[in-house]
Order: sequence, then structure tokens, then C-alpha cells
Amino acid sequence: MTRKLDAWDGATAGWRPLLRIRTRILRAAIAAMRPRGHGFDQPIDEDVLRDVERSLRHLPAKLRIRLGSALCLMEYGPPVYIRRLRRFSRMTPAEGRHYLASWERARGPRAALLRRIRDLVFMSFYQHPEVLAALEVGWAERAATLARLRAELLYERSAGDPDAS
Amino acid sequence: MQAEDDTTRSAGAAAEGSLALGQPGSVDDPGSFALPRMCSQGSDPDVPGIPEYGIVYPNVTDGAALTRDQVFVGDAVVVGTGAGGATAAAHLREAGLDVLMLEEGALHRTESFTTDPATMIRLLYRDAGASTILGRPPIAFAEGKCVGGSTVVGGGICVRGPERVLDHWERALGLEGLGPRGMEPYFVEAERVLHVEPNDDDTLGRNTNLFVEGARQLGWSVVRSARSMDRCVGLNNCVLGCPTGAKQAMHVTEIPRALAMGASLITRARVDRVLFLGTRAVGVRGKLLGEDGRPCCRFQAHAPLVVLAAGARQTPGILKRSRLRARMIGRGLHTQPSARVVGLMEERVDPWVGTHQAFQIHQFLDQGVLINYAALPPGVLASALPGLAEEHAEKMRDYNYMLSATALIEDQSEGRVVLGLDRQPRMIFRLGRRDVERVHRGVALAAELLFAAGARRVFLPFADLPAVDSAEELPTIRQRPPVAATIELSTVHIMGTARMATRARRGATDNCGAVHGVDGLVVADASVLPSSIGVNPQETIVAMALRNADRWIDMVGERRRRGIVLA
Repeated sequence: MTRKLDAWDGATAGWRPLLRIRTRILRAAIAAMRPRGHGFDQPIDEDVLRDVERSLRHLPAKLRIRLGSALCLMEYGPPVYIRRLRRFSRMTPAEGRHYLASWERARGPRAALLRRIRDLVFMSFYQHPEVLAALEVGWAERAATLARLRAELLYERSAGDPDAS
Repeated sequence: MQAEDDTTRSAGAAAEGSLALGQPGSVDDPGSFALPRMCSQGSDPDVPGIPEYGIVYPNVTDGAALTRDQVFVGDAVVVGTGAGGATAAAHLREAGLDVLMLEEGALHRTESFTTDPATMIRLLYRDAGASTILGRPPIAFAEGKCVGGSTVVGGGICVRGPERVLDHWERALGLEGLGPRGMEPYFVEAERVLHVEPNDDDTLGRNTNLFVEGARQLGWSVVRSARSMDRCVGLNNCVLGCPTGAKQAMHVTEIPRALAMGASLITRARVDRVLFLGTRAVGVRGKLLGEDGRPCCRFQAHAPLVVLAAGARQTPGILKRSRLRARMIGRGLHTQPSARVVGLMEERVDPWVGTHQAFQIHQFLDQGVLINYAALPPGVLASALPGLAEEHAEKMRDYNYMLSATALIEDQSEGRVVLGLDRQPRMIFRLGRRDVERVHRGVALAAELLFAAGARRVFLPFADLPAVDSAEELPTIRQRPPVAATIELSTVHIMGTARMATRARRGATDNCGAVHGVDGLVVADASVLPSSIGVNPQETIVAMALRNADRWIDMVGERRRRGIVLA
């Protein structure tokens, strides 16, 4: 069973068409969800897509299946949910956003699955170096500086206290 | 350790081979985006190095490097290397037992940690941090899956179990020796083990100052947190692994100590079940996992003492898979849910600068509410804010003006852990009406604090009430109908699923953490806590493990005297 579930992630060449579909839907989802304006117009959708796909590989098999199903539902759901005869991946980002807003309002499992996908997209988007720079967040640089600072503080402490290890 | 046949190899012997033992290369995913590396242990003697970068991990075997089925033998096998497991392992080794530690995750060295959440969550957390406790509402749950367990990804907060809780355990539940007086020496010892110290003032960020100012405006007393650390420098990266080495998680303290004393550690070893001979536990069996996390071969570990410390979710899972029928195994799940409240402040906060939870508010502990604050990276904080696209961008552009507070709830409801069709443990928890009221109370208090600290808007964890714009609107939280399903909660503190009780019909383990009705099988993690404690449980888990380990050593001594060594 687990092996079958893992196959969704591309272990078998026969599943590649499904992976291509998943990538297409994810690309549309990222285009619709990703923050825009207010300093967030970096052209990083492909980076985000790669990172989201990498994160998907680390999720438990069942959750991957659920998210895969949610993406399929997202793709073929417009006729049901917003009475539009167009697949999600063929919509413009603005149309897609309008469609996903209906998922958000739905609550229940559909909203929960959208939220999972949204969180993955936002995690990858807001942690992208270009976005961090736009946000004026220098966490990584600070980490390097503080690691050196701590080394110096410990060195001074041990120099001041000959009993210290 | 002793060899049994040609397929048998002791962990120590395996560690001497050509396996990749505790090398930095154990990081199997280099990360999404290039990040600067930290300074390493200096090869230049004039440049000070970081002690944690130079830690040697002897006797470690990477399960992914083993290609044949294995049998290990020892005096004690410890499943899990978190707060309870690592403490118990070091204590047992100190007493002279031949200890084998088994860990499902990999060994990630301090110098491999980065500030990139996506990368570190994938590496250090179980299920890439995407676990859920099923119920109304579903609660997001995260726990570590690496050597050191959740101590690697926790805030390192050390708080003793509240006296009223310990009193309840001793007096109402009849658990002798678990009262404040009985536990005192173990808390003292736990604080030594955990390297507990308060933060230096020079590490506090603006978020800390605002949190404290807000509390003082309201006349609430704040408590300076004691934390498991050695000269924290305020990077605020605790929950992704501390790249500076300041956090004294188990992978830099008790595990290397146990290894240096001669204990062995097998990483990427997932335990499926306990092995029995009659009513005696004689070891465990499981699978060794490859680099991709898939099982590659099997193992058995034989020992007269089996210590389960795999966490309050996995420990009952192992017990249930071992076909133990005790009714209380998996029952009594407490989740200590946290509700996140985000304040949009008037002044710049730079929430990524400073120290994680240097202060807490304990004033409402008697009402079951603990208030603290957290520094969250943009990618994580984003999930707490509603909306998509432009709507979300409009909020996140003010990231540097945001202060996150959380209300941690001492829950009274009880859930349980059950086995799914795939034989993996699932957590089920339904938030009761009284707990929902506590969440409302906690959220209202946290929001009140944020407004007192200068917030102009506060985002709430309610789907039907996403934000309030002034303190005058706070009564709307209390007027909100107590509908659990629309609350967004998360937790990192689950407990009680193999709780200690004087009788088997009340709890899965006895007064010293030994599983009722089984000889030689004990539990050393948060599963044994008899009730929700309402505060960060790390110190209580360590103290409990130290207390119970003394009794297990006596138990092994007794079995040796009776001539029972191995199956």
C-alpha cells in the first residue's frame, strides 16, 4: 500500500504524466495565491514551485495523496464551485484567485486542504532570499555573525576563568 | 555488547567500521536556497571555535549504511533520544548498564543547522511538521524526528511542573513521591542536566521589551524564563535548531555524554514492537531506514530492560502494536493547545531579532492559561494571517512590525491515540466546552496585552473573527459562540498517553513508569505524565526520567540477581 502511495511521488516512470499534471496545477495555484504588490512582485514562481515540490516529497504518504486529490479537485472543480466551464490551470491568476477565495469561504475539509497548500506556498515564497531582502530580514547573515560572537564570548569566558573547560 | 552469530553485530562494533558515523554529511537535503554557512570549529588556534561544532559522536551507526538484517544485544535498549530517552540512557549508562539507543531520525550536527525554515522543518520534524491531531478543531502538531528529538527544535524553556499539579498527582491520584517535595531533588538534577540559565539582557530584542511593557501596563507580573542553554546570543532560531550551539539540546549534552561513556546509538532505526517472553519484555524489533526514509532491512535489539521514550504519540503506538491489551494505553491524551495571536504594532519590532520566550506570564496559570511570545520566520508567521495574494501581501509587508503572542491552554479534555489501518498511531482529541472557554479567555488576555504594548490591530485565531482593531472590541471574543471548529490551534506538547497510575485500569504505567503487568518494559517520555501540566514540559520529563531511572536500575539489578539476563 505504502509503495503504491509513494508511486504518486514519481518512484515509477508510469506515474510521470500524473506528476506533470500536478506540477501544472501547482504552478497555477502559486500564480493565484502568491503575494503581489506591496513590494512582493519578485519573479520567483519557478523557485517556489521547485521548493513546494521538494516539501511535498517529505510529507507523509497519506497527506501527499490528500493534497494530490485536492489539487485535482481544484483543477476540475470550477464548474461545480463557481459555475465556470474552465479548468483551474487555464484561468488567469485573477480568475484563479477569485476561484480559490470560494474554497477559503467553504470551510470544512476543502478549506483545510487549501490552507495546507497555501502554507506550503507561503513558506517557500516568504523565505526566498529575494523576498527576505525585500522584507529587510537578515536572519541568515545574523546567524553567521552571532555564531562568531558566541564563540568569542565563550573564549573570553574560559580565558577569564581558568577552571572553565 | 556481544556478538551472537555472523549476522549479529553489536552497535559498538558497527561503529568501528567504515560507516558514516556522525559526520556532517548526514544532512541529506542541502536546502532550498543557498545560505551562508556558520563559522566552524576553528582550525586556526587564534580563532575561537564553537564547542558544539567539535562534539565527537563515537559509537554511532547510521541505519541507512547497514545492508543486512541486524541483531543487537545489551543490558538496556532505549527507544527515542529526546528529553526523556537521552536522560535515561545517560543515567543508565552511568550506572554501568550496556545501553543501546535507537532513534528513528538521523543525526544532524549543530553546524549543519540553518535559518531556512523549509529546509530545517523537512530535516528535523516528523512528517515535515505537518502532523495533525484529528478532532474538533483539528490541531496542528509538530515534534522532532532526529537525534535529540524535540529538544533540538523546542524553545528550551525550563519550568518546573506547578506545585498544584504535583500535589494533585500525589494526593488525588495517590502517586507517592510525585509531590513537590518528592520531586524537588530531581528538578534540581534536571536543571543541572539541562544547563538551565536565564537569558542575558544583551540578547533581548524589541519583541521582548514590548511584551514585558505590555504586561506591566496591565499590572501583570512577568517571569523571566529559565532556558536550557549556554550563553544564548539571541538568534531566535530555536525552533529550527540552534546554529550557534547555544541551546543545550540533548544532541549536544546527554547523548554525547552517554556515547562517551560507552553507550551506542543506531540512527534511522524505527521500532515496530516490543518482543516478549511470557510477560517479560526482552527487546524490540523494527526496521532500518534508508536515506529516503523507506525500510531497507530489519533489526532486533535484545535487552532485559526496554525503555520506550518515543514521545506521547509513538510510544503508545509501539505498545499497541506489541499487542498489549491494557485498556489505558493511548488514552488520556492531553494536547496543551496554543492559540496564536499576532499584533500589528505602532513601532518597528524586528521580531527576528532577540530571544525566544525570554519571559512568560504565569499570572493566569491557575486559570489554565500561560501567555508567552514567539519569534516566527516570515514563512511560518504567514500561515497565521488570513487571505491570499494582494490581501496577504498587504498584511505581510508589515512583518517587521508584528509581535506574536500565544496562549497555551492547560486542557481538561482527554483524547487518545489509536492505530490506523497502516498500524501508525493517530491522535484524536476533541476540545471540550470548558477548554474552548479557556481558549477564548487566553486569546482575549493575549490580545489585551498586545494592545497594551501598542498594537493597532490584532489578528485572532478565529475563522469567524479574524481581527480586532482596538481593546474596546475585545468583549466580542467572549461573546463569540463557543464553537471549537472555527478555532485555529497548534501544539508541541502532548502528554499522558501511557500515564502513571496506581492501578492498571487508571493508567498504563505504574508509579515508576513501568508498564502495568509487564516485566522489564518502562516508559520515559511525556506519555507518563498523569495529567496536563499547563507549562512547557521539558524539565518535568527530564526530572521524571531521572527519578524513575533509579528504580529501573534497581529492577535490572534484581533481575540479574535472579539470573535473568536475556531471553
